Amino acid sequence: MSAASKDTALRTGAIARAVIYSVLIVFAVFYLLPLFVMLVNSVKPLDEIRQGNMLAFPQAFTIEPWIQAWGEAQIGVQPTGLKPYFVNSLVMVIPAVAISTFLGAINGYVLTKWQFPGHRIVFGLMLFSCFIPFQIVLIPMARILGLLDLAGTTSGLVLVHVVYGLGFTTLFFRNYYDAFPTELIRAATIDGAGFFRIFRRILLPSSGPIIVVTVIWQFTNVWNDFLFGASFADFDSQPMTVALNNLVSSSTGVKEYNVHFAGAILAALPTLIVYVVSGRYFVRGLMAGAVKG
Amino acid sequence: MAFLEINRLHKQYGAVEVLKGVDITIEEGGFLVLVGPSGCGKSTLLNTIAGLEGITSGEICIDGKVVNDLHPSKRDIAMVFQSYALYPSMSVGENIAFGLEMRGVSKADRQKAIEGVAAMLQIEHLLKRRPGQLSGGQRQRVAMGRALVRDPKLFLFDEPLSNLDAKLRVDMRTEIKRLHQKLGTTIVYVTHDQIEAMTLATQIAVLKDGVLQQVGTPDEVYSKPANMFVADFMGSPTMNLIDAKIANGDGTLAVEIPQRDRSLSLPVPQPPSSLQSYSGKSVVLGIRPEDITDLDGADPKAEHIAQAPCSVEVVEPTGADTFVVTQLGGKEVTGRMRNATGLSVGEDVPFAFNMGKIHFFDPATELRIA
Ligand SMILES: Nc1ncnc2c1ncn2[C@@H]1O[C@H](COP(=O)(O)OP(=O)(O)OP(=O)(O)O)[C@@H](O)[C@H]1O
Ligand SMILES: [Mg+2]
Repeated sequence: MSAASKDTALRTGAIARAVIYSVLIVFAVFYLLPLFVMLVNSVKPLDEIRQGNMLAFPQAFTIEPWIQAWGEAQIGVQPTGLKPYFVNSLVMVIPAVAISTFLGAINGYVLTKWQFPGHRIVFGLMLFSCFIPFQIVLIPMARILGLLDLAGTTSGLVLVHVVYGLGFTTLFFRNYYDAFPTELIRAATIDGAGFFRIFRRILLPSSGPIIVVTVIWQFTNVWNDFLFGASFADFDSQPMTVALNNLVSSSTGVKEYNVHFAGAILAALPTLIVYVVSGRYFVRGLMAGAVKG
Repeated sequence: MAFLEINRLHKQYGAVEVLKGVDITIEEGGFLVLVGPSGCGKSTLLNTIAGLEGITSGEICIDGKVVNDLHPSKRDIAMVFQSYALYPSMSVGENIAFGLEMRGVSKADRQKAIEGVAAMLQIEHLLKRRPGQLSGGQRQRVAMGRALVRDPKLFLFDEPLSNLDAKLRVDMRTEIKRLHQKLGTTIVYVTHDQIEAMTLATQIAVLKDGVLQQVGTPDEVYSKPANMFVADFMGSPTMNLIDAKIANGDGTLAVEIPQRDRSLSLPVPQPPSSLQSYSGKSVVLGIRPEDITDLDGADPKAEHIAQAPCSVEVVEPTGADTFVVTQLGGKEVTGRMRNATGLSVGEDVPFAFNMGKIHFFDPATELRIA
């Protein structure tokens, strides 16, 4: 009797698993399809794309579109390709991510371990910034950038992204540090460590997972941002996303779809790499708060 | 000259008053144990001594110096926390030496200090490990090592043993006692385990709702509890507190316990001086379970044993002793019997009351009648 029921339990388990896996595979294929289309068509000559069948593998393989997209395509007025804009994006993203992550960590540290009267209100206001749509701040931000003499510069974009990212980074670190035992801070205080030393020696070494989460989050957001880049950047500080848009929507000549595909992949590559390299920490970091209790 | 002196200490969190005028002094080399029920303010008191919490009013002196406004690191104290608070990202050795490092002690001297402490606590083989790779008892030792290495004037312990299993707790208790005897450093120690309090303390301070109930040697607190709260709190099983009346029969006082059929009258051989004024009035009679025994088990040195038959209601063998519960004055009363073989529930047997060790409390003020 018990053997029989165990048997059926196993069998239904197997069937259920088969169903689940089939569904998952279908979804995976579905989500990978666009990437597949982009990849395949970015290595085809243009006439092959024109013949139709976007899903077919290339008959004549070529990396010419990639070279075009990276270094030769006409963007704006000059045939520079995406390369300089890629560099622009990097120069903007790296400081923006580093500064907003660092400030978020300090904020989280203060809001949990050095609480001051009204800390809840301050945190509430910072959280509020997570929910303000980008469009609302465009005009005041433009005014402030003008006042600071940062309009149209990479530094200005960095500032915008730091300000906008601070709500999220603070939220991440605050929740993470909230679970961090206060007794450790007290022990270190008695041991004679001050504000920054406690932060650097006690909290930071334990912050790996949340730093990864924050960096991925910020990197993806800042890299993928289009609106701020389009609104506040000059020609020489335009990020990759804006340049890609200019490339794709340029009205002169024929639409070189293969080059566009290659460019789009180039634009998505850094976030893909960041995610693949540290994705498992991302999941782990998001879980950490839940498990710690 | 007291080493640690706390005068009229008040501590408020917003509108909540947690410590309500605490006065304590300890001599150098003393071992003060703070006990009290959960939430009575023990940790808060310890944290104010450490300087981790500010105080609302009052004064704290360590070694003749007012430390009210001194930063925790400048008070020359070391603290062992309930959770041990070991820095998770540092090795055991680094944990122990962190305080020295912050004080600018050279690497060579730190190494020497680590080795000395590790040898004393027998944790040499653990120095390279991370706290996460240690057992509870080992973490406890490391936490003590971190406190010892700085050779402070004052040690503060906040329930250091409460996370250990029963056997380890007893071992570590002995070890702490030995360390104290060896080093002679003044210690303030918080616990709510009263056996820990009795075995370790030179002074016990009993706290309730932020008010100090009694400070005294373990013996004083145990055998002369200042009020019913202390009487009830110290000792396990707790002291029996029975509603009774004082009767005055030609100069000799007796305590009468009302029973259903007849009231039980026990002579009071050495009445406290002010008990006379209670004759005819209600009192609360306190008597510890070990002072209610079977006839054979009565303390042979006790001079005043009163006998009375009581009916057995519950028998709880614990191994060495058997606790027997009966009813007196409408309350459950526990006695501690040496030999309980043949006791059966519902039976009337003679109980021996050690009348030399009874306590009286005023039912209104709950204070000891001395
Ligand atoms: N930061 C705070 N804000 C408000 N009230 C607090 C704060 N910290 C402690 N209290 C209150 O002060 C009282 C004393 O707390 P404390 O931690 O000193 O108790 P305790 O005697 O150590 O208890 P336990 O034995 O459970 O550790 C408690 O009622 C607690 O709720
Ligand atoms: Mg406590």
